[in-house]
Amino acid sequence: MTEPTSPNVTAGGRVQLARPKEPYIPPREWIRDNLFSTPFNSILTVLFTALVFVMTRGMLGFIFGHDRRWEAPATNLRFLMTQAYPDEQYIRVWFTFGWILALAGLSLAAWNAAPRVGYRNLARKAASVGVAVALIGLVAPAMSTSGRLQYVLIGAIPMAAGIIALKILDNHDTRDMSAFVVQVLVVAGIILSLWTVPYGQHTFVDGAARVDSGTVAQSTKLPLTIMLLVIIAAFYVGRTIRPHFKQLKAVLGGIWLLSPFILTTLVLRDPAFDSGHLLSTDIPIGLAFALGGGAILWLLSSAKAGETGRIAAAIILVLAFASFLTPMRMIVRIDALMLAGAALSSATFAGSREARLRFVGGWMGAIVIVNWLVTATNTPSTVFGLPTGTFYGGGLTLTLIITSFTLIFAFPLGVTMALARTSKMPIFRVMSTAYIETIRGIPLITVFIFFAIMLPLLLPDGMEVAKIPAIVIGYVLFSSAYLAENVRGGLQSIGRGQHEAAEALGLTTAQKTLMITLPQALRVSIPPLVGQAIGTFKESSLVLIVGLFDLLFIARNVIPNTSGFLGAQREPLMVASFIYWAGSYSMSKASQRVERKLGLGER
Amino acid sequence: MNKRNILRVAAVAAGFTLIAAACGDSGSGNNAADTTTTAGSTDTVAAVQQGGLLQAVQDRGTLNCGVSGSAVAFSETQPDGTTTGIDADFCRAVAAVVLGDANAVNFVALTASARFTAVQTGQVDVLMRNTTWTQSRDSDVGMDFGPTTYYDGQQLMARESDGFSADSTIADIAGATVCTNAGTTTEKNIAETAKVNGVDINLQTYEDYDIVMTNFLSGACNIITTDGSGLVGRKAKQQPDGENWVIFPATPISKEPLGPTYGQNDSQWADAINWTVYASIIFDEQGVTSANVDEMVANPPSPEIGRLLGGDGELQTAMGLSPDAFQNMVRAVGNYDEIYTRNLGPVGLKRAGSANARWTEGGLMFAPPAR
Repeated sequence: MTEPTSPNVTAGGRVQLARPKEPYIPPREWIRDNLFSTPFNSILTVLFTALVFVMTRGMLGFIFGHDRRWEAPATNLRFLMTQAYPDEQYIRVWFTFGWILALAGLSLAAWNAAPRVGYRNLARKAASVGVAVALIGLVAPAMSTSGRLQYVLIGAIPMAAGIIALKILDNHDTRDMSAFVVQVLVVAGIILSLWTVPYGQHTFVDGAARVDSGTVAQSTKLPLTIMLLVIIAAFYVGRTIRPHFKQLKAVLGGIWLLSPFILTTLVLRDPAFDSGHLLSTDIPIGLAFALGGGAILWLLSSAKAGETGRIAAAIILVLAFASFLTPMRMIVRIDALMLAGAALSSATFAGSREARLRFVGGWMGAIVIVNWLVTATNTPSTVFGLPTGTFYGGGLTLTLIITSFTLIFAFPLGVTMALARTSKMPIFRVMSTAYIETIRGIPLITVFIFFAIMLPLLLPDGMEVAKIPAIVIGYVLFSSAYLAENVRGGLQSIGRGQHEAAEALGLTTAQKTLMITLPQALRVSIPPLVGQAIGTFKESSLVLIVGLFDLLFIARNVIPNTSGFLGAQREPLMVASFIYWAGSYSMSKASQRVERKLGLGER
Repeated sequence: MNKRNILRVAAVAAGFTLIAAACGDSGSGNNAADTTTTAGSTDTVAAVQQGGLLQAVQDRGTLNCGVSGSAVAFSETQPDGTTTGIDADFCRAVAAVVLGDANAVNFVALTASARFTAVQTGQVDVLMRNTTWTQSRDSDVGMDFGPTTYYDGQQLMARESDGFSADSTIADIAGATVCTNAGTTTEKNIAETAKVNGVDINLQTYEDYDIVMTNFLSGACNIITTDGSGLVGRKAKQQPDGENWVIFPATPISKEPLGPTYGQNDSQWADAINWTVYASIIFDEQGVTSANVDEMVANPPSPEIGRLLGGDGELQTAMGLSPDAFQNMVRAVGNYDEIYTRNLGPVGLKRAGSANARWTEGGLMFAPPAR
């Protein structure tokens, strides 16, 4: 829009060849060339049009059938999203949603990622949406005449607007606008309709479902309106600060990565959780080891430590093992063992001030991560709910939490496994191959049952893992094996020449892997990796086998078994499948954009 | 090694010991990884092994009650997250007796396959998950069963227009398509019954009961079969106008006594749960309800009721409960009849004339005397 950018130069300053413009073909010619070019094609076109017509009519007949009970998903919408998150604390859920939208808005601006859509294209899309809406009214079986008229009239508006715009616009018009603006306008229109159109109000009061006429409840439309404003504001803030803030992308990337941890720990936790124990015990222990241990490591990594350092490290190791003989918190023992390990390896990091600082910094980071993980998995109701499996937000929230944590942890583990499997060192290769092949030989359901039901029986006395972390651990181990194979495929596609060139430049093995092979391998692996992520998202519904209330379980088993909505299974299932589709489709769209940006499949 | 280096080693070691000691102190005496917050469940695991779950639950202050969460009228999860049903109400009753607060229940939804492990690992203190009392579960699986709260039994449901009536017998179903859900005892029961009676049926099984219902509604199934309570519920809610569904045979083809289930070898805990159920039955027998409980406390109709409500000579303290434990229970959730009517009435399950009627009226609801 306002920025003067040359179309041939990307943000990185590289020159990119402009795609050739697609020539304009009038619709009649396009139809003749593509749909009725040969008699055989014409038959196929007619046959498939008929098939699509019959299927659409059937689908519409289902959706608008008079015995459909759409009030079941409507009344249970909040239940599907967050299960039983307490009403008076619901602001936490909206805060989480707002946080994600704000980050999304900022990122869209920072990466300048919103695609642009041409005026003609937009007009065409508006016209087709209008035609589709009007067709609903014309095609749907069993609909009242006034209902049909309503759909046709509503559809006629965008249809007419689109057609008129196409007539006015020149055939070779090249003007375009941000797709973000278009999307915001569409969503704003939908939200405006929430305020004006009487969709009806579905509530659950005193143990009974109630349907009132009027627009949807205030508790739905008001937060949604605020959410829309949040993403718009975030986008424009992002655009304003982008030129002045060089590290914006790095900072946003970091926040995205930390978000699941921050949100589940601080926002979506059990609202009644008493953080006294956390403040009095967990955090002090973590701080003591981070700072005290950091000081010890600083001394030991000094060049002068020498023999003394090794003796000190050995003493720490003995003390760490001794801690298992006396009653002590498990986290202290774990931290002590880590400290002993770091102390023993400190001589490797001895040297310059910078190297020692990096060493101590790495130690502190590791302690924070390990302590967070232990607290999160071991302390009931901080993060993932009680060991009994009750979580304060089930439904879609649970599905998303399991998916995002699994992906975050499985990715580094899977890449490591792939590197190990392609390593020249037999010990790594054999171990990683054995791991991957073992895990791939086990069904996911078995993994879930093992981690949710068997693991608590196998843990030593005094150690506990709540159900959801146990499931996530199992899922991470499972996904990483598949992920490793995807990445290995990418690694093997890198030509021998790349390795040789890197070696000729004198790069070490680590440099060669991190700077030459891995980036190329990951780029090639994007399509299977995204496929894997979509699979992880959808297969998380298997947690129903261990009794966790995820989106699918609530839609399929819980809602149809309440006396208010007995047998109403297909409607909630349809809503759930739409949500799964929307999630999967947006992931695949995003990956397509990344692929295009990296020029995948074009060379 | 020179003196300086020895000093340095000593300083490092001392510093480390200090950290460990500081942390160790707060956790000493308890081997638990996390004393305050996980204590409850850790104790539960220990308690299941050694007895004493009653004390553990009272220390924790909440009852972890295993329910189905998706069983009509037994334990339903409502849109606002609350759990209702007869099983859920007996969870509340136990909480009222043991803890004095009917709302101190943490409902844990369990699948059929996970339920017994959940008791064994201490995830739940008691199961109220429409679990049938069987010999193998009582012995081999390591469970103990409390008094039955609902006598169920497998029956069949068909359309009257197909020539069936409430007096139909198994012999009448020859050649019919019978549908039920796969991999359950229900499937085994109907197959065995048909074989014993020498009738050929076409048995179709589906993954879950809603699909069975859809097929019955569309006419793909002539007959469906499951526990009687489930059939009555479905008939009440899903029978279309102009059709009449009938449930038969009058004597169910299987016995399904449903009641509380808990880990074996903990008599004190078992007594607390058993007498919760018995008290609700006795209160029903003698007419103590949630409405008239104050009156009954002031002026008990019999010494038995007086003792149960916490008057003179009561026996609750010997059980490790507070004297007014059962009074709290009836005040909060009512007697057996109230619980039954509140939850099973709306789905059309009548108590009168069924196995769940009072023993004085020909039913099986009988409690030993409280004295």
